[in-house]
Amino acid sequence: MIIELFLLAIITLLAGTIVPLLAVSVNRRYIRTISLCCPIFASLFLGALSLVVLFSGETSGFTLYQPITEFSFSFVIDRLASFFLLIIAIVSACVALYFSEYVEHMDGSSRRNILCGFTSLFILAMVLVVSSANSFCFFLFWELMAASSFFLVTFEYTHDETKKAGLFYFFMTQLSSLFVLLGIIMLYLESGSFAIAPIHGASTLPITAAFLVLFIGFSIKAGIIPFHKWLPYAHPESPSPISALMSGVMLKIAIYGLIRFLLDIFTPDLWWGALILAGGITSAVLGVIYALKEHDIKGMLAYSSIENIGIIFTGIGLWVIFSASNLPLLATISLLGALFHSLNHALFKSLLFLTSGSVVHATHTRDIEHMGGLAHRMPYTSALFFIGAVSISALPPLNGFASEFLIFTAFFTSVAFVSPLFKVLLFICLALFALASTLSAACFVKAFGSIFLALPRSPQSEVAKEVPRAMLIGPGILAAACILLGVCAFQIFGIVGFNVPLPDMFLISLLLLGMGVLVYVVLYVTASREVRVSETWGCGSRSQQASSEYTGHGFSEPIDIIFSAIYRTRTKNERVFFDLKNCIFREGTGEIHLLKVFEEYLYNPISQLFMQVATKVSRFQNGCLDTYLLYVFVTVIALIIFLGWFA
Amino acid sequence: MNVDFILYIAINTLVVLAIAPLFVSMIKKVKAWTQGRSGPSVFQTYASLRKLLTKEVIYSPSSSRIMRITPLITIASILVAALFVPLIFVPEPVGGIGNIILFLYLLALARFFMALAGLDAGSSFGGMGSSREMSISAIIEPTTIIVFAALAFVFKTLNIFDMVSRMAPGLPAAPTLILISISLFIILIVETSRIPIDNPETHLELTMIHEGMILEQSGRNLALMELAAAVKLTVLMGLLINLIVPLGLATSLTLIGILIAVILFVIKGSILAGIIAIFESSMAKKRFFQLPSLFAMAFFFSTLIIIIEVFS
Repeated sequence: MIIELFLLAIITLLAGTIVPLLAVSVNRRYIRTISLCCPIFASLFLGALSLVVLFSGETSGFTLYQPITEFSFSFVIDRLASFFLLIIAIVSACVALYFSEYVEHMDGSSRRNILCGFTSLFILAMVLVVSSANSFCFFLFWELMAASSFFLVTFEYTHDETKKAGLFYFFMTQLSSLFVLLGIIMLYLESGSFAIAPIHGASTLPITAAFLVLFIGFSIKAGIIPFHKWLPYAHPESPSPISALMSGVMLKIAIYGLIRFLLDIFTPDLWWGALILAGGITSAVLGVIYALKEHDIKGMLAYSSIENIGIIFTGIGLWVIFSASNLPLLATISLLGALFHSLNHALFKSLLFLTSGSVVHATHTRDIEHMGGLAHRMPYTSALFFIGAVSISALPPLNGFASEFLIFTAFFTSVAFVSPLFKVLLFICLALFALASTLSAACFVKAFGSIFLALPRSPQSEVAKEVPRAMLIGPGILAAACILLGVCAFQIFGIVGFNVPLPDMFLISLLLLGMGVLVYVVLYVTASREVRVSETWGCGSRSQQASSEYTGHGFSEPIDIIFSAIYRTRTKNERVFFDLKNCIFREGTGEIHLLKVFEEYLYNPISQLFMQVATKVSRFQNGCLDTYLLYVFVTVIALIIFLGWFA
Repeated sequence: MNVDFILYIAINTLVVLAIAPLFVSMIKKVKAWTQGRSGPSVFQTYASLRKLLTKEVIYSPSSSRIMRITPLITIASILVAALFVPLIFVPEPVGGIGNIILFLYLLALARFFMALAGLDAGSSFGGMGSSREMSISAIIEPTTIIVFAALAFVFKTLNIFDMVSRMAPGLPAAPTLILISISLFIILIVETSRIPIDNPETHLELTMIHEGMILEQSGRNLALMELAAAVKLTVLMGLLINLIVPLGLATSLTLIGILIAVILFVIKGSILAGIIAIFESSMAKKRFFQLPSLFAMAFFFSTLIIIIEVFS
């Protein structure tokens, strides 16, 4: 039954890809609706099959087509794969629901059909990556995923910003594929097959090298610092539902790859775990610190994705460390924490991207300084965004807390077990992890406050309207899932068969609710019930103005100053005075430069190096037929000499 | 969930609600003494709260639902957090209540809503308070988590109930306890916005952090916010007291035992309140941007405990 459901899902997604591409010139709504219904139905099939596999724990596999003996298109669905299929299913269904309305408000006439088709193809590629049974199959679909997402990112290809973002994304994603391919080839040379099966004889040099190459490949795709730069470029420029899919799901595919290869092929060393942990913690802290500085709503969410991927990598790193030092219980907690956070991040980040898409749709700006006051104008959207913000800030009783709690618990209990050196390392990581967690709360207080609260700060925000209902249902389902997974986290783990040291969040939620109701009742009976609406005291100004509010920049200023060493903000002041003692100011200039550390010190030098090499190489290409004939001639002669020498 | 635990919930909540205003007043009284004033009565906070309850609530037209639900959510989460620290009676922990990480995050939940409410009315004071509060809470968090991890490491449990009742084998040595109490004291000062971090007694925009955030609250909502702040103070004091001197904690539910425990807790709490007041009086408020270096000191100090514990 599982295989039939799986095939059904794939056929549906294929139909969703082909239909709009066939009818590419028909600019009708129904084409796009049909196309986007396909992912929804496919998600239902996938959701059903992954729930069955998750509960029963059965593994089923099949071979679709075998062109040569070494390689076949075969698929396996086990518990790990079905967990990630579940993530894909939930998020794609909600995104497709939202998208079916959103796409009608986009520009681009019949070009939008292609967008819908590629969305289905993208989802299909992700499904196939997760269920691939051998590493070459994995790579092929990985590449399909990369290519189809490129077309989604560059939908608005006429904008200069989008062109730049698309190019950047294309390079980074191809670099990632290159590393993954290299790793897979190295593994093939070592084991002689593409099968995802354990390699014995652990940490020999080639195997370690293969791991490192694969790690870099997956890190680029997941957006681990310093390979993160494509996220803040690609996410703001792509349509919001696409950002939701990419950030919510595609980054998780990289996580899946890392976990799958670590779990099924390698026997990890302790220091591999330390490496993953270090990458994770760095991304978590720097990601959120950059997010605080960002005032493009989607750019901020992109940086926040980097932070959350960092949290997931932290969990994976802990898992590797604990399993390498023979602590299976702690290893399980960390891995469950990482997996659960993958699911949770998929839910709340796609929720946030979709609702921020609604906000951008209503206000026509991405700058949070030009929003404000939307809580009155878009009550439902603001409530949904709020649930996402509480979840991502890891506050109880929602789901972000439950997964971070597992990782915290692993940290807290680990200190009693591992060696002293690792204890110190783990303590430092714990402190940084906690820092990242609270900074993300600060970041989302700022985001929610500037976007939705107080007075509107621009005319567009003044006249913003609530979005159509179809654009509320998708995020609504995601928000409900966030609440459910948070409140019932303990029970859900129990049903799936893991006894985790989570507090009973259901009980805590009941207590919170009970206390709230009790206080309300007591106040209702004893206290005054009078309510008056009157203007905020504006220090004597006649009426309250938006310009006197605290801005997003102002909000993050203290953090900006405290972490100035990381932001490397350079300010330049030049002043000219009338008098010699520099008292009476005449004129002056001031500049603030944000140093983009990674771009200036890492990306630009490398790209310049490549440019130099390319300029030199391009001298050979003079476009003249004679020269090319000469090249051919020289090559043939060289080959003959070479073969004569060695053969 | 058994009968004992339900009784515990009722008793702990009532006791903390009853005692919290007293401790706030006591600190004020001792501070007044050190300044050579006689100060308000120790029951002044009760009277102020009662007065606030009879006043009307004023909302700004620009404020949203956040402003309206924040007082309830703040008090509810602080009261649930109060359940995590047994003040007078230690039952068997149920369903993860008493977990030290959840305790921290319940306090964070209250702070999150308070900071949003600060932004909601659109006044620049509120925004300033929220911004400063979130920044401070972020940079003190590494210290807090290290201290709590040290607690978990020293007492070999993650549950405050087990720490307080000393269930786990191997009591920590006295020097460790002293180091931990100093660290917890620093956290207490920071979390409850006291000098040298913040000044709880002014409404001057140069100094205020916590008071800035709740500036737009009025009437019964303000009463709830003030009560929540008092309860938070009491709970953190209770954590410090009962971890270091668990003397007098009732282990079974008898009327006499509970009464003795309450009296002992009030005495111990009054002493700590006096210490806090004297500490505050002997300090000047630090400039905001000098706080990170203060926190860095606290951080190294708490890391020291860990290193001593790890390598001894």
